[in-house]
Amino acid sequence: MDYPRARDELLSRPGHPTAARRRILSGLTDDWLADLFQQAGADPSDTALVAVGGLGRGELCVHSDLDLLLLHEPKSEVSAVADKIWYPIWDAGMRLDHSVRTVAQARRLAGQDLKVDLGILDARVIAGNGELGASLRGLVLQDWRAMAKTRLPELRESVVERTERSGVLSNLLEPDLKESYGGLRDVTILRAIAASWIADTSHKSLAAAHEELLDVRDALHIATTRNMDRLTLQEQQPVADILGDQDSNVLLRRVLAAGRSVAYANDEAWHRVARAIAPKQRFRQGRSVYSNKPERAPLTEGVVVQDGEAVLAVDARPDRDPVLMLRAAAAAAQAGLRLSPHAVSRLAAESAPMPEPWPSAALDALVSLLGAGRAAVPVWEALDQADLITRLIPEWEVVRSAPQRNPVHRFTVDRHLVEAAVNASELTREVSRPDLLLVGALLHDIGKGQPGDHTEVGIRIVEDLAPRMGFDHADTEILVDMVRYHLLLPDQATRRDLDDPATVQTVVDAVQSVSVLELLSCLTRADAAATGPAAWSKWKGGLVADLVGRTKAALAGLPRPAPNELTPEHAALALAEGVVVTLEKGADVWWVTVAADDRVGLLGLIAGALSVNRLAVRSARTDTFGSRAVTTWSVIPAFGDPPALDRLREDIRFALAGTLDISGKLLARAAAYRKKAPTYRPAPSIEVVAEASARSTVLEVRAHDRPGLLYMVATAISRADVSIAAAQVATLGSEIVDVFYLEDSGDFLHDEQIATVRAAVLASLSDSDG
Amino acid sequence: MKLVTAVVKPFKLEEVKEALGTQGVEGLTVSEASGHGRQHGHTEVYRGAEYTVDLVPKVRVEVLVSDDMAEAIVDSIVSAARTDKIGDGKVWVIDVEDVVRVRTGERGEAAL
Repeated sequence: MDYPRARDELLSRPGHPTAARRRILSGLTDDWLADLFQQAGADPSDTALVAVGGLGRGELCVHSDLDLLLLHEPKSEVSAVADKIWYPIWDAGMRLDHSVRTVAQARRLAGQDLKVDLGILDARVIAGNGELGASLRGLVLQDWRAMAKTRLPELRESVVERTERSGVLSNLLEPDLKESYGGLRDVTILRAIAASWIADTSHKSLAAAHEELLDVRDALHIATTRNMDRLTLQEQQPVADILGDQDSNVLLRRVLAAGRSVAYANDEAWHRVARAIAPKQRFRQGRSVYSNKPERAPLTEGVVVQDGEAVLAVDARPDRDPVLMLRAAAAAAQAGLRLSPHAVSRLAAESAPMPEPWPSAALDALVSLLGAGRAAVPVWEALDQADLITRLIPEWEVVRSAPQRNPVHRFTVDRHLVEAAVNASELTREVSRPDLLLVGALLHDIGKGQPGDHTEVGIRIVEDLAPRMGFDHADTEILVDMVRYHLLLPDQATRRDLDDPATVQTVVDAVQSVSVLELLSCLTRADAAATGPAAWSKWKGGLVADLVGRTKAALAGLPRPAPNELTPEHAALALAEGVVVTLEKGADVWWVTVAADDRVGLLGLIAGALSVNRLAVRSARTDTFGSRAVTTWSVIPAFGDPPALDRLREDIRFALAGTLDISGKLLARAAAYRKKAPTYRPAPSIEVVAEASARSTVLEVRAHDRPGLLYMVATAISRADVSIAAAQVATLGSEIVDVFYLEDSGDFLHDEQIATVRAAVLASLSDSDG
Repeated sequence: MKLVTAVVKPFKLEEVKEALGTQGVEGLTVSEASGHGRQHGHTEVYRGAEYTVDLVPKVRVEVLVSDDMAEAIVDSIVSAARTDKIGDGKVWVIDVEDVVRVRTGERGEAAL
């Protein structure tokens, strides 16, 4: 038979690639190979020609390689026969992956090499002894099932490696249809997981997604006339034309959606595999032997850890607790866990709409989620899949899976924004407002995908969105400026003369303060790293750093905000005697005010007493009034309601009297929480802020929050025999920015004291990190 | 044919590109570069501390042109890139034996 002619005739027929055509091509190829097998004089009783890979599955694309195995009985001599089969294939200009083996050899190799193993699971006999092929497939399948508990984790590892190399298909502007996660290889892997009988795999919408990817691959082969799997920008229009798509954006959106379906099915399948093969811990202390109850440990209000994932607590009520969704997401990401699919679907089905403006706890949770870095990505994806993100931020809909036609960009707009926020989480120590950095990074390109200049559109969106998220006017202005000027630094640095004072003045006029400059500088780096390898280089980084340095110098000397003045109510409290404690419920935090005689260590001891009572400090202020100090705290109970005022007052009095064992209690609790998998965290920073106060040395501490942190830091400062004249403590998501105004007998600290305090604070932070 | 290579200050790139455009140059290659000339970088005072920048960021522009155009191209690059300050860069010209356009296989001046 004249195979090349028959093949050309088939491919020249009008109409675009379909599954039917791939089946016909596979059939045609089968017939040709069967002829070759016969002409080569192969003995059909002890040899078999077996197709693996795409031909084995009957889904041969136009320029796919042929993957063939000549299977034979141990005694038969087949090398001459093999040559007579392979040469005509090469002569026809086909690419061939070939092997000659006995059943035992093939089985042994499959046991060593996952790729061979997966290939044989899809194997199909084309010619010769059918039983030979069937016995090989049966044996390999039997081994696969028997060894699944060790082989599936190996396979999983290879998937993770491949994903690192080839990316996640649904996020890429130039996806690899075969190798990217969610591509054709993962469809094959899904079948292998199902064949292991370890975990069932769901196939809803998967068949359609699979055929769609194959159609596009087929069209890509036609457009490029070669076996190509990466859908590059330049091929997208020709492929769209072949497939009859209106334009390349329609095509790309279709491909990304298909990749998303495949990836989702794989996520689910791998999750079930992990649960099925995880060692069952049946025996644990303090429980009945052979108890099969899953271990549940509280993570945050309404959320518990179960089987290594975050699930909703039995008494959680999404319908009454609109913040629960974000709180659960933040807690899961901060602990390095994923949110269980059941929890996500319950949140999607039952969550009450978020009030506007958002309660501060919601904004806090969002910041904490973004601040979790890499660990936030799977949690974010899970929320996005369930349409929960667009419910919170309707403007997100436009950027979802949105292609961008820019050769510098690697990711779709939504993934670019998430990546920017993830990158920003590593830079939180370099800014005084990590919350604005993270949210600004998430929103800086939110105007993309709409008509008009994306910066202009983005400004309008953020002006409207930020107040709804609960940002006040001043913070909204900063977020708007971050959107407006997100390209300012690289533009000015690479296109303007840095020696020209006008260049620096342009930036000074735009940012107006060191804090906004720092935000823009970090946003620029986070944005560039989230764009693609071509967007950033040491060269560009050097120019931007130079510009930032010059602008900072120009801004130096601008006054920093001074600590606030005492309010009349607090002045009245200060006049009372002894330890006065009040507890008030605010909009979404509780306010604790403590007036007491001023003394070294006061702030730390009160912070300790609050921690012992499971109150997380969100902000704190301390002011002195003669010999009295008034400290005001906003706190959130870690679980449920705060303790009764009487108990809190007693604990604070005991703490100040030195009879409350704060360290012991906090250590015991820390030990109970130590199981949490730590996600990556930038190292804490401790800076002396120059010229910030007329008589105090101002120390700014930035670190990752944890229970009892303020107690440890403040105690460390006091132990250096330095008094804290005033303090401003802020918890932004999971990051803290604490500013301490330190004095020694009413004056600045000298350099040696500063060094001692710095070392003590650093030690207290690393202690609490362990 | 000549290869004209210019190393200029980054912020001058737009003007150089414009100047080349008016000369009818259709294709050019730009890369990020860094280096120093006679002045060996410069010294800056930043936050009170003096530090030396030994490698200064530059861009490198390369253009392939026909022999008769080379002189005019060099002149227009020089006038576009000049700020009359230290570190304005350099332009040099070398002979090119042959040029091939990859897509079509055209050679010589046809490939410019």
